[in-house]
Amino acid sequence: MTTDVQMMSKAHDRGEEALAQEHLMHDPRSQEEMNGMVMEAMQDMGVKYYALVAFLAVMTGVLLFGAWGLLIFKGYGLAGMNRPVYWGLFITNFVFWIGISHAGTFVSAILRVFKAEYRRPFTRAAEMLTTFGLMTAGIFPILHLGRSWRFYWMIPYPNQRMLWPNFRAPIMWDMIAITTYLLCSTMYLYLPLIPDLAMTRDHSTGWKRTIYKYLALGWRGTERQWAHLQRAINIFAFAIIPVMFSVHTIVAWDFAATRMVGWHTTIFGPFFVIGAILSGVSAVAMVLIIVRATMKNMKYFIRPEHFDAIGKLILIVSMGWAYFFYNEFFLEWYGGEATGHVVLDFLMSSPIWWIMIICNMGIPFMTLWSKKVRRTPWMLFTVTALINVGMYFERVVIINWIPFRNRMPFDWGDYMPSPIEISITLGALCLFALLYVVMSRLIPLIPVWEVKEGQTSHSVRKVGKASISSVAELE
Amino acid sequence: MSEVNIQQALFSEVGQAVEAVDKLREAGINDDHIEIISGMPLSHHILGRPEIKSRVPLFAMTGFVVGFITSIALNYFTPALYPIYVGGMPLFAIPPTIILTFEISMLGLMAFSFFGVIWENRFPDYRPHEYSVEATNGKIAVVYDCPEDQRATLEVAMTATGASSVGKPEVLR
Repeated sequence: MTTDVQMMSKAHDRGEEALAQEHLMHDPRSQEEMNGMVMEAMQDMGVKYYALVAFLAVMTGVLLFGAWGLLIFKGYGLAGMNRPVYWGLFITNFVFWIGISHAGTFVSAILRVFKAEYRRPFTRAAEMLTTFGLMTAGIFPILHLGRSWRFYWMIPYPNQRMLWPNFRAPIMWDMIAITTYLLCSTMYLYLPLIPDLAMTRDHSTGWKRTIYKYLALGWRGTERQWAHLQRAINIFAFAIIPVMFSVHTIVAWDFAATRMVGWHTTIFGPFFVIGAILSGVSAVAMVLIIVRATMKNMKYFIRPEHFDAIGKLILIVSMGWAYFFYNEFFLEWYGGEATGHVVLDFLMSSPIWWIMIICNMGIPFMTLWSKKVRRTPWMLFTVTALINVGMYFERVVIINWIPFRNRMPFDWGDYMPSPIEISITLGALCLFALLYVVMSRLIPLIPVWEVKEGQTSHSVRKVGKASISSVAELE
Repeated sequence: MSEVNIQQALFSEVGQAVEAVDKLREAGINDDHIEIISGMPLSHHILGRPEIKSRVPLFAMTGFVVGFITSIALNYFTPALYPIYVGGMPLFAIPPTIILTFEISMLGLMAFSFFGVIWENRFPDYRPHEYSVEATNGKIAVVYDCPEDQRATLEVAMTATGASSVGKPEVLR
């Protein structure tokens, strides 16, 4: 009898042990220890880190700003755009990076609203993806203007020409939507960061402490401060979701508002949004895998359970993308309009179209149902990287391939990006990586207070012989 | 009331801190003279403290209205003052106005919520205040002011409820 009880007790202990091993929320450490781990990760800046920063800075300078300068100096003819493809890689990149920026809001705000507990350790990593993705995206409309230095003409103020911007023009919708999303997502990044900046202040000395002191605004963690902060974070979490949807919908309308076959469709808004979420969440997975592999102590905070959850999300979103894609494709095909068929026949003869389908549907459908794939970092990284390749090609197909064939056969043509456009595209990727790598050492990537709050609200309950996870509502 | 002393008791557990607050109340210390500092949010339900009314939602609503009015002004008054006739487009068009009005109103809502937090917390505030680095590291600091003649009694009471240290608080500079 005693032996049975002991065995059962051991099994129960093993259950709790397994829960702790699996779930961050059931593997609590003291806040002091977690603060120390995050600080150690931030301060880990060896030669390799500085070499990476230097490399990315040089590549950004040369590939992005150097090529941009050349474009300004020599003229826009250096880009490969011509009739009938007027937007080329610049707007492709713009749409792609706007899509990536949806990750932060989706992962942080929506999961916060639905109280998905696994979100806690990586909300900030996702929010940073949004902010830097938007910054990168924001370069392209300015670059696309040609005379970039006249950008300020779009700002509504009575200028010397006594002209106001035309608010009926889609470029104004773009500018205002992106400005709104950038400002709001930056505020949404900053608000939950304040307590962590205070933690960094308390663990820093000298000039670093002075900087963090000013950034923390005088945060002490009083009841009053927490109450106002939490109220605001809740408002942001709800309010930023429709803004996220609107931003990519407006980007979609840049195309759908025209009468071009293949673009003029009412499904373009949601189709763009679902694509943005697919590429954004895949990018979150990629960033988390890199952060976990390269930063100290991150294996404690970011675990296979998180990859598993993100992998499931990606699979579902991929199914959503397939649904919208098929809607768009099928009705164009079934409608029987001659030009529509010409466009579809042309797309289906292009390898890029097939790569897009394989990467966005075939690969996630065939792999992400497997728990092993979802939980193995290198496997998930490969899948999510391929999804982003597929999503980039989706943008290429929509923005550049569809206009090849239109209602006027004399206007048919093709497009090949010039070295300048390819250079700027790679430079933008370097800029994004540079911003992320630099900021990963300047601000705490893990919101320790959110993790601690989650760990406090979780407990283990015994139901029958099983140890099960239980969550309490602390608010 | 004789000379006022600000004291701070540090606790490892929330339950201990809550018990300590009850003890302070029993000793006649009003809730207004007690402040709790912690490294994670603890609601008034958990702490058994009076609810803190936040005006942040009011700021948010005001921001929405300000954004809405700004957008209407940009969309209707500026084309009237500086008309640009673009082929086939009406000067005042409701559908594009809806797009911009939504964006600018939401920007107003969130910007005002952000400034609401700043305003309500009197940020930035770099003046010296009672603080404990231990609170950032997971301890719960109960800061209270009490008359000098009660100081020793309350210190004993705080220690009895599990305070790891009782004394003058650190100051955040």
